[in-house]
Amino acid sequence: MGTDQKPRLELSGITKRFPGVLANDNVSFAVQPGAIHALLGENGAGKSTLVKMIYGIMSPDAGDIRWNGEVIRVANPKAARKLGIGMVFQHFSLFEALTVLENIALGMDAKIPARELEARIRQVMDQYGLKLDPHRTVSTLSVGERQRIEIVRALLLNPKLLIMDEPTSVLTPQEVDQLFIVLRKLAAEGCSILYISHKLHEIKALCDTATILRGGKLVDTCDPKVETSRSMAEKMIGGNLKSIEKPQGRSLGTEKFVVNRLNLPAIGHFGTALKDITFTVRAGEIFGIAGVAGNGQTALLLALSGEEPVDDAGAITLDGVPLGTLDAKRRRLEGLAAVPEERNGHAAVPDFTLWDNAVLTARDRLGLALSGFIQPRAARKYAGEVISAFSVKATGTEAVAGSLSGGNLQKYIMGREILQKPTALVVSQPTWGVDAGAAAAIHQSLVDLAGAGSSIIVISQDLDELLSLCDTLAVINGGRLSKPMRVSEADINEIGLLMGGVHGTPQETHIESGAVHAVTA
Amino acid sequence: MQLRLEKRAQPSRTMLYAAPILAVLLTMVVGAILFSVIGYDGIGAVLEIFTRPLTNPLKWQDLGVKAAPLIIIGVGLSIAYRANVWNIGAEGQYVAGALGGTAVALLTMKMQGPWILPAMILFGILAGMALAAIPAFLKTQFDVNEILTTLMLNYAVVQLLYFLLRTVWKDPMGFSFPKTPLFTASQSLPYLWPGTILHWGVPIALLVAVLAWFVMSRSVFGFQVRVVGSAPHAARYGGFSAKRAIWLVMLVSGGLAGLAGVLEAAGPFRQLVPAFPTGYGFTAIIVAFLGRLNPLGVVIAGIVLAISYVGGEVAQTTMGLPSAATGIFQGMLLFFLLAGDVLVRYRVRAVSTRASGETA
Repeated sequence: MGTDQKPRLELSGITKRFPGVLANDNVSFAVQPGAIHALLGENGAGKSTLVKMIYGIMSPDAGDIRWNGEVIRVANPKAARKLGIGMVFQHFSLFEALTVLENIALGMDAKIPARELEARIRQVMDQYGLKLDPHRTVSTLSVGERQRIEIVRALLLNPKLLIMDEPTSVLTPQEVDQLFIVLRKLAAEGCSILYISHKLHEIKALCDTATILRGGKLVDTCDPKVETSRSMAEKMIGGNLKSIEKPQGRSLGTEKFVVNRLNLPAIGHFGTALKDITFTVRAGEIFGIAGVAGNGQTALLLALSGEEPVDDAGAITLDGVPLGTLDAKRRRLEGLAAVPEERNGHAAVPDFTLWDNAVLTARDRLGLALSGFIQPRAARKYAGEVISAFSVKATGTEAVAGSLSGGNLQKYIMGREILQKPTALVVSQPTWGVDAGAAAAIHQSLVDLAGAGSSIIVISQDLDELLSLCDTLAVINGGRLSKPMRVSEADINEIGLLMGGVHGTPQETHIESGAVHAVTA
Repeated sequence: MQLRLEKRAQPSRTMLYAAPILAVLLTMVVGAILFSVIGYDGIGAVLEIFTRPLTNPLKWQDLGVKAAPLIIIGVGLSIAYRANVWNIGAEGQYVAGALGGTAVALLTMKMQGPWILPAMILFGILAGMALAAIPAFLKTQFDVNEILTTLMLNYAVVQLLYFLLRTVWKDPMGFSFPKTPLFTASQSLPYLWPGTILHWGVPIALLVAVLAWFVMSRSVFGFQVRVVGSAPHAARYGGFSAKRAIWLVMLVSGGLAGLAGVLEAAGPFRQLVPAFPTGYGFTAIIVAFLGRLNPLGVVIAGIVLAISYVGGEVAQTTMGLPSAATGIFQGMLLFFLLAGDVLVRYRVRAVSTRASGETA
């Protein structure tokens, strides 16, 4: 790896224009062989467009891509893979109904017999410590597990450059550490890695170089080990970063939201059953639920939001009112709101306008529908209030939800729930795939809602988020919730062990993370 | 140079409305070529089919009479399809409606009164709903695909019609022909104006369309149907039950097909004959899509399809075109429409082959 060596990948003057947007404006940088190179920027900064051009999904309007010193034109992803460029996308392209093995087989350019492919998959997984059962159906896998499929798929091709698009947004510290081990190992073997993220401390921990984009333009290429997280964030946002303002010495009120022995049978074949979930959230308290993807978080959100009502009305109470058997609509009327992790198609209808999406959850509490009829004027007014109060970048209330960027749509969804002044709010992965600016705004809005006396439950796989945001923390594993602990007294090692499934009982200590099945006794 | 489909950032509203017009034009062009190739005057045939019904005032009444059942059924189907519930059984529900109405008619042969016709209509609607309830039950309870169940029930109901006409419902004075007695005056749908063939089904169809439009765009019911169809998870999150929505849209679409059936039996037919099922329930599928699953669009689409029916008949007599011509034109229309819908979400762009690539 001498300095005289040609860069593995060199971009010069890359420009890409979309109708109305200049997505990349004269971007130039180089990735060295064996380097882990961060590509940093807010949502909409042009990171994805840039890597799509490297991977051959789009072609640049101007500028050159050099591969090992030679100018190339990447006609399509197949050509990119042939060159040795692999990519793990933020949004996975997997067939839900097929198994891991079948999905990988379908994505291969060369036809390989299933048995041989399985052997190679197992070898790659062993080599890099990626745990996955090749015969599981994708629909039953958690987001973290799905990502492993994509990583294995890319690694099978022995790439010389691996592009990772926001890979850690859904992983636990241990999973992130594991991923980093894999990436460092790859880099040591000479594979260059282009690592797209906006998690600054990860970039500091992992990357050798960081290229920062803002509004399609290259702002800086720097050494992340020298920079501080704050200085990089400010370059990324182009302004001063606001940190969460938590009122000091606030006291928590009375017990408000009580979950008592909540049970829910597993949904689907490999779904996780909830077992005796018990916790209490006081007025003004932010209660965090940590855990590895696929340990019952989805089921817990559905059970709390009312999408999966339970038989025991008293399992969930808000201010003493039993809610367990009520559906989402009636729970909202009682003051319990929820935001699921999936924005498109769950928390919002992508084809609908923003004001239609306001009607989706606010129609009863705010009178956006009266005696069976929608009140468009009231709905537009409310949608407008949400847009301005949460600085949502959108063309207006008539904008289609699917046209908003992830961060903006998440701000809109959070705003839509928070401005309804719920007594209790359950949110899952509130900042998944959201840029730093939007994440800070969302965190602040949750703190403010708690300050107004509501109880807040944050389900997240981002432990840093929980530690900075929450007053109390519990860990979900295999559908069971650990004892809550005060964040100020929490021990990160203990949390890590709980997330890995160590509850002290010998039978449970050997359950491997991410592959916990529902066991019906 | 090659042409490439590029995903649009947002579905194009222009193309949403342009696609049906494009489909009609393409159908006319390709139809003209097709009939020229097989030895007819292709351009003449297309003009005959698509313009004669409009230019000849005598045919306007025919258009209204043909369009009415298409619009009523099409409105119901557009509501079901909005919820992603694929009711392909409107033909059966239409026949069921006629059977329900006729059952009342046969029981009231010797009676008189203004209540008889409304009772027939009510039972027609209920019969259509009852037939649609079977697939709704199977889908909500056992997750049985409604496309198969609704489609298969069509044939079951038509056989039931044949059975009834040859046995218990056969007109004793009908020289053994498989048909019911003619309905009495109390059992028949009155004409709008004496001397015309326009019956009350025509204004009823327009009323149904306007009501459905209002309900779909303004009511929580319509909102629920749209959410369930567009994003089922979001529907449950919003507190809407998908099962309830399936039941509702199946009953509404079945009931409206039943209404069309009983109006047709009590109107133009005034009895039940084996030739009663004329495929309106299938053509209405095209109507629903051509009308962009919008009840007001369905009115226009119903008229367009009525033109193809009436024009097809005209062309049969004046040009000797085969009766299958109507079916060919209707089939092409749906084909081009569905193909044209690609342009709502994608745009065609010419790119140089040098820098071509795949879309992900």
